Amino acid sequence: MQFYALCRRSVISGLCGFAFLFLGGCGAVDSGDGSSEGTDAAADTAADVSTASVEPLSIGAIPDQDPEMLQRLYSRLVDYLSAELGVPVEYEPVTDYAAAVTAFKVGDLDLVWFGGLTGVQARLQVPGAQAIVQRDIDESFHSIFIANTASGLEPIDDISGLKSLMGKTFTFGSESSTSGRLMPQFFLKEAGVALTDFKGEPGFSASHDATLKLVEAGSFDAGVVNEQVWLDRVAAGEVDEGKVLAIWQTPPYYNYYWLVNADKLNAEYGEGFTDKVQTALLNLNASDPQQAEILELFGAEKFIETENDNYAEIEAIGREIGKINE
Amino acid sequence: MATSPVLRLDSVSCWFGSVAALSSVNLAIAAGERVALVGPSGAGKSTLLSLLNGSLMPTEGEVWVLARSLNKLSGQSRRKLQRQIGTVYQQHNLVANLSVIHNVNAGHLGRWPLWKAVVSLIWPQQVLVAQQALTQLGLGDKLYARTERLSGGQQQRVALARVMVQNPAIVLADEPVASVDPARSHNVMQLLCDSVRQLGQDRTLVVSLHDVALAKAYCDRIIGLRQGQIQFDLPSAAVGEQQLTRLYALEDAA
Amino acid sequence: MLSDLPTSDPLDPQRVKSLDALPDSTRSHRRRLAVGLWIALVIWALWLSGLGRSPLINWAGLPLMGQFWAAMLRPDLTPEFVGMMARAAVTTLAFAVCGTVLSLGVGFVTGIFCSLVWWRVFWPGRSGRIVWLGLRGLLVIPRAIHELIWGLLLLGVLGLDPIVGVLAIAIPFGAITGKVFSEILDETPTGPLDALVNSGVNPGIAFLYGLLPQALPNLISYGFYRFECSLRSAAVLGVIGAGGVGYQIFLSLQSLRYEQLWTGFYVLIVLNGAVDFWSGWLRRQMGFVGRLDLAKGRETSQPLTNDTFKQKGRLVWLAWGAIALAVPLCFAYLEIDWSRWGRVRSLLAEMAAQVTPDRVLPQFSWSLLPLSLQTMAMSVLAITLAGLGGIVFSFPAAQNFFLPGGLLRSAGESRRWSVGHGAMLLARLLLLGARAIPAPIFALVILYGMFPSILPGALALGLHNFGILGRLMAEVNENLPDGPVRALRSLGASAGSLVFYGILPANLARFLAYGLYRWEVCLRETVIVGLVGAGGLGRLLTEQLSGFDYSGLAATLSVFIALTMLVDAISGWMRSAAR
Repeated sequence: MQFYALCRRSVISGLCGFAFLFLGGCGAVDSGDGSSEGTDAAADTAADVSTASVEPLSIGAIPDQDPEMLQRLYSRLVDYLSAELGVPVEYEPVTDYAAAVTAFKVGDLDLVWFGGLTGVQARLQVPGAQAIVQRDIDESFHSIFIANTASGLEPIDDISGLKSLMGKTFTFGSESSTSGRLMPQFFLKEAGVALTDFKGEPGFSASHDATLKLVEAGSFDAGVVNEQVWLDRVAAGEVDEGKVLAIWQTPPYYNYYWLVNADKLNAEYGEGFTDKVQTALLNLNASDPQQAEILELFGAEKFIETENDNYAEIEAIGREIGKINE
Repeated sequence: MATSPVLRLDSVSCWFGSVAALSSVNLAIAAGERVALVGPSGAGKSTLLSLLNGSLMPTEGEVWVLARSLNKLSGQSRRKLQRQIGTVYQQHNLVANLSVIHNVNAGHLGRWPLWKAVVSLIWPQQVLVAQQALTQLGLGDKLYARTERLSGGQQQRVALARVMVQNPAIVLADEPVASVDPARSHNVMQLLCDSVRQLGQDRTLVVSLHDVALAKAYCDRIIGLRQGQIQFDLPSAAVGEQQLTRLYALEDAA
Repeated sequence: MLSDLPTSDPLDPQRVKSLDALPDSTRSHRRRLAVGLWIALVIWALWLSGLGRSPLINWAGLPLMGQFWAAMLRPDLTPEFVGMMARAAVTTLAFAVCGTVLSLGVGFVTGIFCSLVWWRVFWPGRSGRIVWLGLRGLLVIPRAIHELIWGLLLLGVLGLDPIVGVLAIAIPFGAITGKVFSEILDETPTGPLDALVNSGVNPGIAFLYGLLPQALPNLISYGFYRFECSLRSAAVLGVIGAGGVGYQIFLSLQSLRYEQLWTGFYVLIVLNGAVDFWSGWLRRQMGFVGRLDLAKGRETSQPLTNDTFKQKGRLVWLAWGAIALAVPLCFAYLEIDWSRWGRVRSLLAEMAAQVTPDRVLPQFSWSLLPLSLQTMAMSVLAITLAGLGGIVFSFPAAQNFFLPGGLLRSAGESRRWSVGHGAMLLARLLLLGARAIPAPIFALVILYGMFPSILPGALALGLHNFGILGRLMAEVNENLPDGPVRALRSLGASAGSLVFYGILPANLARFLAYGLYRWEVCLRETVIVGLVGAGGLGRLLTEQLSGFDYSGLAATLSVFIALTMLVDAISGWMRSAAR
């Protein structure tokens, strides 16, 4: 019966797609598990677990590294969470930082994997929002300043060495990236380098990989990327080390974490639900092959606890730089 | 050389799909002749003129212009030959948004290299030549006017000036008086003949007309076309009622 | 912004008449002034970009650029990925359909209320005219703001729902359509309307019977063009959770998976190509010469009479049937949650609380001026590049020029496959690719090979808009009355001379009109190429959006709107001077 329904749906969608090309119809009802379809798949799985009348738990993420793996990552996670929590879970694809923060604020995303800064931005707009879990590596996260070898920039020993970037062209990553913008800008400021000290305006490449390539190309003399991405790309041999070199590793700071809309979820699924979510995430175990895959996709050995107070520094810097206006 | 015709059609046929616009037409026109093409609408007058200036290719047969086969040439040599044929179109076919001087100067385009043509659009070249041609046609003051803002009659004279500047061996005119009142049509024909004569006594004029009286008055040879075939080809003086009745007879009477 | 469609100007009868009344010398004086002004603008923009003062080309980065182009030949064709893209294509298409339908609805209503003729009938006299002017001015606001920013703003009000993507298209495009439709209405002969009004018919009914039927076919024709625009826009909107091809492309872009990117581009190219082809076909079947028949004036367009309908027969009806079917299907497919409207008010109030005069006013500062100038310069360079490129490519891309028997070929040539065919195919593909690939991607790739300044941004925008303009201009060429050109050819003029004496003089004014209309679009699109390290106001906007600084955003947007008005005014004046 289900098989029959599936066939019929694909036939309809195929016919409609065909009709469009020639006549201007438009592809119609389609099943599947692609982009927004990831949601369908999630909802389907969830339906097995719980009754359909329960509002699904919406999870989201801001893609910061390897985002084309998001699909795989999140369908695994959706399966795991819905099984653990006993409620339907769905994944909403959002690729813009500001969009994810806004969606969290208006209550369309309940559990989001945020970067340090965006997490604070989101938390400040939602009373009762809680940082619950982060990866082992997020406790002491670093950014790496990189430079093109032809720029004449040399590796530096301490923060004051950042002064050598004055008069060079420089690019950040995405505007609200913690590791690609906020913390680097903070350290630059500490070193006494203002954004106006660069040659021209600093660029905003929109992603770590783009920063890496633009510096490798020499279009910008220097840039800054997330350490995880840097190490990953170097290990994969995707970085031409004859052209780009790491010049400085920043001091550690807190980064990525799961932020949950605690008040809303506790009201919707019962008191203590937030704790269940936290426990479920903390329980992800590398010895289970399915769960190990989730951890691997996140680039983590394990998840650990975190709390709102850990991000006080990021909040302060965010205010200083003008990225937080609450 | 004087005896070889400037225009010659060797059993030329021209088909548009399944319709024969011209069938097996043979014709020779000598230098200095003034020839009128007459005949009812759809007889093939326009087709014949299009074949003569090379804008149309015959389905069969050959078109000879100045002793060279037009349909065997292409590219540069073809353009070189086409320069020797000037055409005044029924719709004038001027570039409406250009000023008069450029439309007149377009007559030089067959000779000018591209750079000169482009430069002339900014600094008009050979203004005197254009001025002279326009003055003769009574348009001396319109040199820098926008062509689209001239009246129909004025535009026709600009088209004529373009031909004069082109200075071809053969001038073709397609229904030059089609949309002109009878009194004015004499005027137009006079201008046309004068212009051709101005270019030289050996220049040839081929003009298609509806009005046989005009043809007799201004041309020395009349060719009657009917249903894509030449019905008669006589000196003007020899054309009488009899030929004309047959030429213009309605279908069922023929 | 007839990004759209030069209706307004090229055929505005009043304007034409008033210009005709000017003596030639005044006209050519105005034209010279306009050309001079534009050259001055370009020189200023180049100066601002630092041309000549700093190195331009980053030779060391060219191999990286090469990697991107090399991936063109080996797109990711793994079945799962292609399948994912195909489904994404359906989503994008659904967004485009829904966005177009809504924008046409919005455009229809605003078009009526923003037309001069409406106010002339309902409120004759000065005050009606003032209201009309005010409404026209208000219409700039939705147009000035890029779809992506609309998307982010709406997200804050409506939450994560497909409706955001649909409205992000429908609002700005609705305003554009409204502007164009109001111009169509104002250009429609008012004889029948006046006759009805003068015989005592209620103005509303007179409008319905006397004017709308004449103007509606043009709106429909324009609607198909809007559909093509919506499709391109939907591809950019994927980022904000709208899904579709844009979402996939931006994911692949972030990790620089060029092979995947190219798969996405090919999907967009096929999608754009199919939609362009189909809409062109349907419009021709309905008796519209092209997008541009609006531009050419009514003499070339035949209204939709019953006769034409009958002639074109079943296929057209079938197409309309498919459209009627597709629209509800697309809305259903997107699963829009209409109940979200319920909470709009509270969220809007929350946002509005931040945008009070005392919070916004301090945000205006002189620092906005250099940013505005940067934005302006980038848009000027972009549209100049796009326009020049478009003109050049409009020749090989047009059917009636280089193909055997075409205007630029001598009649003696054979009619089989030729270089002309190849050139046309290549030119059309190039234009299609340029308009299908989103500008931000061009920006990144160009930046590999250039040093940061406004130039790479201008190049990226120029390239994308070149694809759009080239196609519109090719259509202008195809609709050129061929008499004058054939006349020149038969007197032996070379192909080059034909271009300068026959084709350009006839079409240049229309080319310029398209280019100037598109200028406004380039201005708005500077927002999405901010990564080039000299993004002007656009960069500031994205910074403020990502910092949720709504009061700052309000100030920047007002400057942007003012800039758009300025561009609108300059381009209007230039278009009338170019005639």
